[in-house]
Amino acid sequence: MKRKPTLLHKALPKLLYIVSAIALWQALIMIFKVKEFVVPSPISVFQSLFSKELVAENTWWVHIRTTLVEIAVSFSLTALVGFFLALFISWSKLLRGIFMPVIAVLNSLPKIALAPLFLIWLGYGFTANVTIAIIVAFFPVVLNTIAGLNSVDEDLLDLIRYLNASKLQIFLKIRIPNSLPYIFSGLKVSATMTVVGVIVGEFVASSQGLGFLIKDSQAMMNTPPMFAALFLISAMGLGLFALIDFLERALMPWNTEKTGSAT
Amino acid sequence: MQDERKPLLSLKNVKKTYTTGGGELKALGDVTFDIFPKEFVSIVGPSGCGKTTLLKIIAGLLPKSSGEIIIDKEDFDISREVGFVFQKPLLLHWRKVIDNVLLPIEILKKDRKAMEERARYLLALVGLEGFEDRYPGELSGGMQQRVSIARALVHDPKLLLMDEPFGALDAITRERLNIELLRIWQETGKTILFVTHGINEAVFLSDRVIVLSARPSRMIESLDIELPRPRQQEVRVQPEFGAYALEIYKSLEIG
Repeated sequence: MKRKPTLLHKALPKLLYIVSAIALWQALIMIFKVKEFVVPSPISVFQSLFSKELVAENTWWVHIRTTLVEIAVSFSLTALVGFFLALFISWSKLLRGIFMPVIAVLNSLPKIALAPLFLIWLGYGFTANVTIAIIVAFFPVVLNTIAGLNSVDEDLLDLIRYLNASKLQIFLKIRIPNSLPYIFSGLKVSATMTVVGVIVGEFVASSQGLGFLIKDSQAMMNTPPMFAALFLISAMGLGLFALIDFLERALMPWNTEKTGSAT
Repeated sequence: MQDERKPLLSLKNVKKTYTTGGGELKALGDVTFDIFPKEFVSIVGPSGCGKTTLLKIIAGLLPKSSGEIIIDKEDFDISREVGFVFQKPLLLHWRKVIDNVLLPIEILKKDRKAMEERARYLLALVGLEGFEDRYPGELSGGMQQRVSIARALVHDPKLLLMDEPFGALDAITRERLNIELLRIWQETGKTILFVTHGINEAVFLSDRVIVLSARPSRMIESLDIELPRPRQQEVRVQPEFGAYALEIYKSLEIG
């Protein structure tokens, strides 16, 4: 058995990397005397997070919570709806024949460009934001899951067909477990796109959230909170990614050596 | 020699024709033979002669074009009475060894808990005691094929169909598994229909060897192998062994 490296051992290089990047940033700002409304220093970005004044008409916490909830809700729905839709489409040749062309056409649309339409249809706020994020993010899950469900070795199907397995059994015992690595690589792509979708939604159809905060601060040329929001958004994206990675390892213990998905 | 007994399985004029883009391909010309309970029968023939097709027809995986397959009794349910060992081990890599062995139990909706002990016994029988909780990816090719034999036996079928199960293994592993297969066969009392392109393997294992011709295949010969049992490696150097093998070679050349 290999010895597990300690947490500190694993985190230390990353931590050093981040600290030196921030130090370099601060140094460059000071050396070249960059104006704050162009690029703020890391110190003022950090301070903006704790300033007593409201940002974009609300406290930081309200914006953070709004974005977090929107990401969580739209990603969960993306994963669930995407998985079950893929299952439905893969159920028979007929269903595949009917729905695959529709999926292909919809997927080729520039989904972000639909955001203003959803503002018209659903109005400002949560519902529109979540809908936009789902539309943007859900195709990778659907397409990857369909690919996974259908990439089963024919011989493997013979194995349980001679036992007279039902279609449901074939899905439960063979097709779905076989598609797990595909599903997870789809989820990872979708996670990134969910964050993009939520932020775009907040740009066009919200009065809360980090996306709105960026847009609102831009009008004031108040760059420090914009940068702070950017970092918070990427932290959320990374957190979601790490959560999926954790689930992948937990659900696929046979995959310890080679992480089967194309990350 | 067993003709006074009732056959477990009778094939009468079984034919299989594939319709392809270029016309019709006759895979099985006309195949007729019986298999008796507890018999070990091998089918040899040139590659592409439809040996695998024949097994798949018996297992109900492919429809036959014409002919009859008669099974000893009315209530013989193929899915419950047949165990199939494929060329490849075909293990589900996301399941532990023991869960792979229990797959047919789950498909047949039998009580999994009650069969776990049997699965452990079978894994011990194929020499894999202690590997129950490993994943297939951790096993060698020979060990994987042993797991697939245990899996084919788990629902206690009467008939074991084996499609070149050791074809992909190296000679040393193959010959060792031949001996173990005979031991398993004797301990479990199964009827085995074994497809191979190895003439020596067929002679070593079988009570009877059925020789098929090239496509469209028909039966050229059914040869009783009257070598004493239990057979060990020494059998392979006996003059009778060579004589049987030579006879099969010759009939293959004529066919």
